[in-house]
Amino acid sequence: MASKKNAIDASIRINSESNLLHAPDETLVIQVARGNTAALEALYDRYSSIVLGISLKVIGDQVLAEDVLQETFWRVWQSAATFQVQRGPFTGWLFRITRNLAIDAYRRRNVRPQAISSVNGSDPILDEMPDPDTDVAEQAQSILKNRQIRKALASLPGVQRQVIEMAYFYGMTRQEIAEATGEALGTIHTRARLALQKLRGELDRDEFEG
Amino acid sequence: MSLKDSMDPRIEELLPFYVLDALTDEERELVESYLAEHPEARQQMNDLHSGASALPYGISPVEPPRQVKKALMARVTADAEARARSSAHTSRQPSRPLLGVMRGENILRTFTLGIATLAIVWVIILNTKISQLQNEIATLNNTLAAQSDSLEQIIANLPKAPPSNVITVSLKGTDIQPRAHGQLIADPEEQSAVLVISGLPKLEANRTYQVWLISGGTPVSVGLLAIDESGQGVVIVTSDESIGSFKTLAISVEPEGGSPQPTGEIVVASDL
Repeated sequence: MASKKNAIDASIRINSESNLLHAPDETLVIQVARGNTAALEALYDRYSSIVLGISLKVIGDQVLAEDVLQETFWRVWQSAATFQVQRGPFTGWLFRITRNLAIDAYRRRNVRPQAISSVNGSDPILDEMPDPDTDVAEQAQSILKNRQIRKALASLPGVQRQVIEMAYFYGMTRQEIAEATGEALGTIHTRARLALQKLRGELDRDEFEG
Repeated sequence: MSLKDSMDPRIEELLPFYVLDALTDEERELVESYLAEHPEARQQMNDLHSGASALPYGISPVEPPRQVKKALMARVTADAEARARSSAHTSRQPSRPLLGVMRGENILRTFTLGIATLAIVWVIILNTKISQLQNEIATLNNTLAAQSDSLEQIIANLPKAPPSNVITVSLKGTDIQPRAHGQLIADPEEQSAVLVISGLPKLEANRTYQVWLISGGTPVSVGLLAIDESGQGVVIVTSDESIGSFKTLAISVEPEGGSPQPTGEIVVASDL
């Protein structure tokens, strides 16, 4: 009797997990808002390595970055009902939560930023790692997408990339970036605009579909 | 005169930092109120945004240790269980007795007597409830045993049948929007489905994308579709008829709020 019930439970669970594995992000968030823990797990499997990558880049400390990772998905669990698909894709929302938590954690440490990226040299950004929890097609697509973006980022002049990374990953204001780099505010404005325009141009040329 | 010539230079300076989410609250409000009054400036913002939104994907992913997921899921599961208990507790809460207006020493005596009486009644009710619940559990156990046998037969037949009725239909843009593509994820027997679209440009504020399901030449409106800055949109479409009864899905450009019938350009059309 018990073994029958276990078999039934396992079958139902596997079938549900299989459906969740391929469900769009926005469908999973709806499920999370309804209290479905398996949907949250599916989102975690899909994006935890990117979230940890962002946190680690901002904070530079593995333990704190892992705390941010856990806190990010806890916020998703707590606030899924407030997610509005009309305001953009789930990933935009997720990465914004990650970035804000990471910047807060980084500021609490009260230290100056580590080297954000080498202006002229190589960058760990160019590393590559597949996500083991996605299927082969998704993995291939993800790797291609990341390659395109890294190639586009690598094509930016170092000083331009530095400005957009300081702003995006460290939440530094225009004035703070100008102070940190010793450049005029106008130069920072120009570099940020040129970097984003060039990035978009490179991605368009490679027909990136984000 | 181009947009660049006519744009407020202060806003132009702020836009890259707006899409990078690195403005002060005051600066952000300034940009948002400008964009609200100058919809033509949004295109420039969108162009910059598409570059900024790619930045997280340029980071090297880092595989987290297993214990992080384990700790998170333990916390989430505990919270889900607490929510379930809280919900059940709330629904079982007895209504509070009305004390009425009482004064002097009688208040305490009456209150104590009332509480004692309520406690006795409550214990009797609880005992009765426990007895009823034990009977119900016994009945449910018998039912579960019977249903388990039936389910086992169904599971034995599962390999012969598809695991799920859910299908995914690929959608393509028309010659007007050849880069548009997407998927409709649906159970043909259900009356709703999830539509995911990429590669469509965002429309001005006074126009909207409208989704149609067509059977026998009569288009039925099944929802409006919002497209974000990256050209993506997701909507749950619903119909009075089952999704499988329709032959074609189309998306047209319509005035804000939608139209009773398609009037604008058809940007996506695919057989289901």
